[in-house]
Amino acid sequence: MINLVADSAITLWFDRVGPLHGWAIATAVVVSACCAIVGTLLVVRQMSLLGDAISHAVLPGLVVAVLCGAQPGGVGVLLGATVAAMTTVWSTRFLFRHAGLWEDASVGVAFTTLFAAGVLLITVSGSRVDLDPGCVLYGILELVPFDTVSVYGWDLPRAFVSALSVLVLIIFGVWCTWRWQIFTAFDTDAAKAAGIPVGGVTCGLLIGVSLATVTGFVAVGAILVVAMLVVPAAAAERLVHRLHHAVWLAVLFAAVGAVGGYLLAWRFSTSAAGMMAVVLGVEYLVAILIAPDDGVAARLVSKLVYLWRVQIEDRLASLWRAEESKQLVQEGGFAGLINRWLCVRGKLRKEENVFVLTPQGRMHAELIVRSHRLWETWLGKHVDLPVDHLHPPAEWIEHHLGEQVRKRIEDELGNKDIDPHGSMIPKEKR
Amino acid sequence: MIRLSVIAAFLPYNTLVVAAGVAAVGCAAGVIGTFGVLRKRALVGDAAAHATLVGVASALLLTGQRDLAVLLVGGLTSAMVAIVLLVLIRKFTRTRDDAAIAIVLSVSFGLGITLISGMVSRGIPGSGGLERFLLGHTASLTAHDAILLGAVSATSVLCIVVGLKEATMVAFDRDFAAAAGWPAATIDFVLIALVAVMVVVGLPAAGAVLVTALVVIPPAVARQWTERIVPMLVIAGTVGLVSSLLGVAISSVAVQIPTGPVVVLVATSFLIFSVFLAPCRGIVWRARATSLLPSACCEEKDAETTARVVTEQKL
Repeated sequence: MINLVADSAITLWFDRVGPLHGWAIATAVVVSACCAIVGTLLVVRQMSLLGDAISHAVLPGLVVAVLCGAQPGGVGVLLGATVAAMTTVWSTRFLFRHAGLWEDASVGVAFTTLFAAGVLLITVSGSRVDLDPGCVLYGILELVPFDTVSVYGWDLPRAFVSALSVLVLIIFGVWCTWRWQIFTAFDTDAAKAAGIPVGGVTCGLLIGVSLATVTGFVAVGAILVVAMLVVPAAAAERLVHRLHHAVWLAVLFAAVGAVGGYLLAWRFSTSAAGMMAVVLGVEYLVAILIAPDDGVAARLVSKLVYLWRVQIEDRLASLWRAEESKQLVQEGGFAGLINRWLCVRGKLRKEENVFVLTPQGRMHAELIVRSHRLWETWLGKHVDLPVDHLHPPAEWIEHHLGEQVRKRIEDELGNKDIDPHGSMIPKEKR
Repeated sequence: MIRLSVIAAFLPYNTLVVAAGVAAVGCAAGVIGTFGVLRKRALVGDAAAHATLVGVASALLLTGQRDLAVLLVGGLTSAMVAIVLLVLIRKFTRTRDDAAIAIVLSVSFGLGITLISGMVSRGIPGSGGLERFLLGHTASLTAHDAILLGAVSATSVLCIVVGLKEATMVAFDRDFAAAAGWPAATIDFVLIALVAVMVVVGLPAAGAVLVTALVVIPPAVARQWTERIVPMLVIAGTVGLVSSLLGVAISSVAVQIPTGPVVVLVATSFLIFSVFLAPCRGIVWRARATSLLPSACCEEKDAETTARVVTEQKL
């Protein structure tokens, strides 16, 4: 759906940006969608490093496939890369089980070795392999539109066609195994016990990853494929809690990253692949800032809201105590702002230049003071604290006690109505 | 001395320089990587290596001179920034470590490529081919570079030797070290920072992937042979040294073959050999041991496996 929208938007642009850029952008969008879908599953299964490993390790697979006479961009290359990816995964597992290494070290050993083997193969085979290590590392997105293939009379870029078929394959595969994927991702052992072929599911996912990686190679190169696999998924995962929402959001992020990155790169005449990774990084940054439950902004806001509530309640309580003892109230920081806010909320009223509690405000203040004094009484009874040490803990906890807790404390104290300082404990009003 | 001069007579000067430089990096990377592997941070070095590109490009942009020392300082700065970012992501978000490493690695690499490619298209002098910095160019190592590599490697190893007790404590039980009143977070950061220094310094000599390999594979080999930290450090250092030297030797005999990949493959063949044949842990050894009476060695192994399972469950 999102891809369709993105694609049709791009066809509209064809007149403005010209078909060359249009095809490059379309290819980038399709490739990033492939990567985002499998990447989300990879990230929730905590296998992101495997994405990094596979993107390096498909190199020898590519080289061997080309040496065996496969066409660049053809099925043979995809097959070779998938075999290499599976070798990486298998050797990682092997090292993890038999060499007493932790997972990250096993991944590190496997992919560096395979990448080294790939580089060695390229150098040794010399001119027989038309693979430029630079192209493998940095991609050739700008050249995508020039290598075309005829499909039903249409001249389409070869990379676009192969990316589109991989996308269809991935969507089909993920859609068919969706329930298994979810179950395996969240509880592998339970899935295994429930009779789900966990090994097959994982294997399928990794085949998807290697297909997406090989497709991504052409567009953005080996290392930036990692950005496409992991970054949109990690960003989406912070923002939503349902896995299928995360997949859609990741695809959206990936598409925005691809289009935005290409256009920015064009504007500043720099590398499209690099700029895409940068845009994705910015998206991730925004996601961790605005994430609703644990984002930096969310945490800051909830902290500020809490501090503000404490200020308000302290102010109400001190006004109430001033009324009780017929003394002048002490003004704290932000007094003017707090008074104005309380007036707006109908808890304070200004009478002859003095703020007094409204009935509503008095009720709120009584609850705070009640919590405070109940807690002091409870501490006085059960904890061996001197009387002048009772105030600070009560001052803190008065903002946190609810009605039921107050009731329980009151019952436990036997309906005492005088606190250790000799002040009256206000009653709960209904 | 006589023996050295005999070797020098047989080997071309260039090969000697390359061998010295790569061997220094290999040895030190093995020692320092041991702590990285034990702290389950084997791939932090990889992230740092890819992040250097940003610093290298910025250094060239700011100073306008393509001097190795300047580029290295820039690269080191950005590698440190990348590590700090990793720590921040771990602390302030729920993104898991593996994803955090992949994000920092790929996005900083993308930023580096963007910078370099932009500089090339604006015709800034010296920026051509800078993106190949990460691939390394072992063959063009100069005596000056080799001395720099040797000095940094020696200093890093010295740091580990001096702070061995603290590093060991933090590597095995960080919480206990913190509870015992040691600045565990600082020691931890120094250990990662050393990996970053090693990686950045090794880059021009060896390239990103080889440096990552040198930080990971020798400790993995050492892990097969011993359960103790000092022997592990010594074995890792030796394996790094020997595979570097063998790699340089092989690629100097067969001119066509690049040094970096050969070093990696030599180190990996050490690992494969160890995984199968190392006493106690090796697959062959265990297969034989299960057919005989359980020996003390295997009991030790069992105890270790149990301990590992227990820690995994606790985690």
